[in-house]
Amino acid sequence: MVKHSTLIIAMLLASGQALAENQVDPDGFTNPLQNLHFNPGLDQQEFERASSDALQVYDPLESWNRRVYHFNYRFDQWVFLPVVDSYRYITPNLVQTGVHNFFNNLGEIPTLANSVLQLKGKRAANSTARLLFNTILGVGGIWDPATKMGLPRLSEDFGQTLGYYGVPAGPYLMLPLLGPSNLRDTGGLVADYSLQNAVNYLDVADASRSNPGIPVLQAIDTRANTGFRYGQLNSPFEYEKLRYFYHESRKLKIAD
Amino acid sequence: MPSLARLAALFGGLVFCASAMAVDVDAESYGYPLANPFEATIATTPPELRPELPADGDIRQHDYSVRLRPDREFELLDNFWPVTKLRYRLAEQKGRAPLIFIIAGTGAHYASGTNEYLKKLFYGAGFHVVQLSSPTSYDFMAAASRSATPGYSPEDADDLYRAMQAVRAQHPRLEVSEFLLTGYSLGALHAAFVSQIDETRRAFDFKRVLLLNPPVNLYTSISNLDKLVQTKVQGIDNSTNFYDLVLGKLTRYFNDKGYLDINEAMLYDFQQSTERLSDEQMAMLIGTSFRFSSADIVFTSDLLNRRGLITPRDYRITESTSLTPFFQMALRCDFDCYIAEQLMPMWRARYDGGSLNQLIEKSSLYALEDYLKSSDKIAVMHNADDLILGQGDIGFLRRTFGDRLTLYPHGGHCGNLNYRVNSDAMLEFFRG
Repeated sequence: MVKHSTLIIAMLLASGQALAENQVDPDGFTNPLQNLHFNPGLDQQEFERASSDALQVYDPLESWNRRVYHFNYRFDQWVFLPVVDSYRYITPNLVQTGVHNFFNNLGEIPTLANSVLQLKGKRAANSTARLLFNTILGVGGIWDPATKMGLPRLSEDFGQTLGYYGVPAGPYLMLPLLGPSNLRDTGGLVADYSLQNAVNYLDVADASRSNPGIPVLQAIDTRANTGFRYGQLNSPFEYEKLRYFYHESRKLKIAD
Repeated sequence: MPSLARLAALFGGLVFCASAMAVDVDAESYGYPLANPFEATIATTPPELRPELPADGDIRQHDYSVRLRPDREFELLDNFWPVTKLRYRLAEQKGRAPLIFIIAGTGAHYASGTNEYLKKLFYGAGFHVVQLSSPTSYDFMAAASRSATPGYSPEDADDLYRAMQAVRAQHPRLEVSEFLLTGYSLGALHAAFVSQIDETRRAFDFKRVLLLNPPVNLYTSISNLDKLVQTKVQGIDNSTNFYDLVLGKLTRYFNDKGYLDINEAMLYDFQQSTERLSDEQMAMLIGTSFRFSSADIVFTSDLLNRRGLITPRDYRITESTSLTPFFQMALRCDFDCYIAEQLMPMWRARYDGGSLNQLIEKSSLYALEDYLKSSDKIAVMHNADDLILGQGDIGFLRRTFGDRLTLYPHGGHCGNLNYRVNSDAMLEFFRG
């Protein structure tokens, strides 16, 4: 008897599943929601709970940060992007790529240093190889033969190194012109910058001091290659969304 | 003789039936690789099966803005300064060409991903292209919508029509041979209403109109979307919420891979890995994106109309004011709640509206049934597994559009728009 009833239950379950498998309406509609499992009516608040948690990013300087966000937004629209557009218009594509590769190559120095600091041997080797190939074969970094050889560009900065050793993010900071950051990553930015100055690779840091055109070009190149546009999330809550994305993307970068 | 007449009638009927049959694409010859509608909706088509598109650098395009509501510049609060004028994007051909308007889907911006893709596709085919934001988007509500309470389709379409006329007037030297219109998702529903308005106002006299994955019954669609975030997801407990769960999966995935690299091909690889998302998790992810749209609509509409539901009526908002508490409140209100609290009262006050059923009837494709039946220039492309449809919706499309409906077996919601078979069909329709 017991056996029978289990058999019947099993059959019922099986038939239920078979029914749930693929019921197609006569008009051809396959009703994709029919097989989903839903929470019971009184327990439907996971979205609200998760989103509410996501808004809890430590941001004691919020009102200052918001002002900077609006400042950056305006600066971007009225100065930065028009300059970037003219740069793109007057510079041949080949030159743009060359400039971009050149600055990327300089960026391998902090990546190498931070890979070493995090004891990531493979990544340090990758970075060293890139640096050598691109500087020598790529004529000072204007070309990027390393990527074609299967050495992808990976970046590590001092903020990530600090995060790797457990330094907390600290308060969220919206930096003028540079955009979203936090206290830890701002410190990292300063450290990486000093490192680049100290190493003075290819004499660029020294040359920049007498020729402000170089850092300006670097800024334009960076902006031209950053996809983000203020207003692109098209939401009254762009500030909050940006804050969350920044926070989480840094966590992802530290973890890898 | 009467029997002959009957025979003729029968034949006539058969021929009529045959010509009115929808074009059903069968799964095998279609060849779209993603049979799971949730995967298709999120990841869209694998890169190697997409059409060839012109590069950004080869497109002569520019963002413009048009002032449609001069009063809003004074009415809007400080933090709304970027959206006092309606921005749009125009990609121009050299010389004379057809001009196509593209209307974005729910909450989407003129430069959103799907709009950008459609622009490239049609620009590559030699059309001028104008990309417009959806009437449900933040910028459109603030800069172009009269009631700033989207959802009543005839009014949204009217706002759109005015915007389109203003756009045309801003480029008097642009040589246009004929006007075309398309939209995806909610934008497709708007396109149908806009096309009907154009029959009487005749500012454009659209030659062809293509609806891509439109909702049939607006209420079914929003109910489906509201429901998606209520799925039962494995692995959620008191210490792990849904976002942590997804991000945790991503972290582990990238750790296995050795380095962080987010690109389009990654999504397919991710779904092949052990960290792959279940249907419920993907449904929740899709639902989440729509809930964020509804939060934007709820907040913006309430604030622009000073309804006092989210933001207190005389609350002073400057650029430094934190909006987080209002965001949190707006997130609690889904589409259903928005309709009950804001859309219905507005519709009753302005249009002497009646019940919810009447509102749905007037805002859905049903309202245009006769027009759509008789208008040969309008066609629709839809998917049998689209998440925003309900039972009977495809039947309605079959009856209404006849052979002007193309039904694809897979693709989820708009996931196959960038599949080469679909893009070829779209271009063929507009060129033909």
